[in-house]
Amino acid sequence: MLENLKAATFEVFESMFFLFPEPPLLEPPVFKGPGVQAWVPVQGPRAFRIGLTVPQSLARKMAANFLGLATNDPTVEQIRDAVQEGANMVAGSFLAREGASPAFHLQPPQSRLLDLGSPLFRLSLNHLLLLVDDDSLEVFVEKI
Amino acid sequence: MPYNVLIVDDSATMRALIRKILAISGFNLGRCFEGANGREGLAILEQHWVDLVLSDIHMPEMDGNAFITALKGHPLWKTIPVVVVSTESREEVLAPFRRLGVAGYIKKPFKPETIRRQLSTLLGEVGTPDAGELEGCDF
Repeated sequence: MLENLKAATFEVFESMFFLFPEPPLLEPPVFKGPGVQAWVPVQGPRAFRIGLTVPQSLARKMAANFLGLATNDPTVEQIRDAVQEGANMVAGSFLAREGASPAFHLQPPQSRLLDLGSPLFRLSLNHLLLLVDDDSLEVFVEKI
Repeated sequence: MPYNVLIVDDSATMRALIRKILAISGFNLGRCFEGANGREGLAILEQHWVDLVLSDIHMPEMDGNAFITALKGHPLWKTIPVVVVSTESREEVLAPFRRLGVAGYIKKPFKPETIRRQLSTLLGEVGTPDAGELEGCDF
């Protein structure tokens, strides 16, 4: 399952955002500072969600590259929307790669702004941790 | 003859990206309308002449299935070509759209050239893209 999640993530980041994730070589990536989490609920025989957690710097790059803007130009709404759309495409690609039954329905993506350094923030238990340049990226699949 | 296009997608950034691709693809673009869901799409069709619809599937309020079903059931709109642009690629999910008579399907993520090719197939040759804008460009 994680291999398909990884392949879906690489496909989306490389083709839509011109960004190239890679597995961390030594230490696991560190999450700190302001960030964006976006996810797609999946309903069906089992309910779960597929999502991304990214620091603000990566979220900004995603929005800028997606829309062809300078890195500092995207608005907060554009940044949230770009990360949501990223989660949406990863979810669609992942379900197709998994051969998921059509009984599983993708729901519209959601997102929230969060402090990745807060003690209330927890990484998912079932996830991939990747690096995009110097930024951390979490891709997760978890039960709702 | 310029073509009026309706883009229905709940993502404003995705609508902006598609609009940009249409603008640089050499496509003879007339007015470009945008709706954030099927209900907004139908409201635009009530008010404006549209030559082509590009629609997402998963949207709040009214999804692509309900929207395209309404469109294809309408006497005036049923001949408008509809291209589904979605993250979905599962055949079982797409089959109902084929039965509804959609003209094409573009999977996200896509290349700008894919959209241009679809338009060319549906509407005839769409002109020459701005030099260097599309070739080798991934979105």
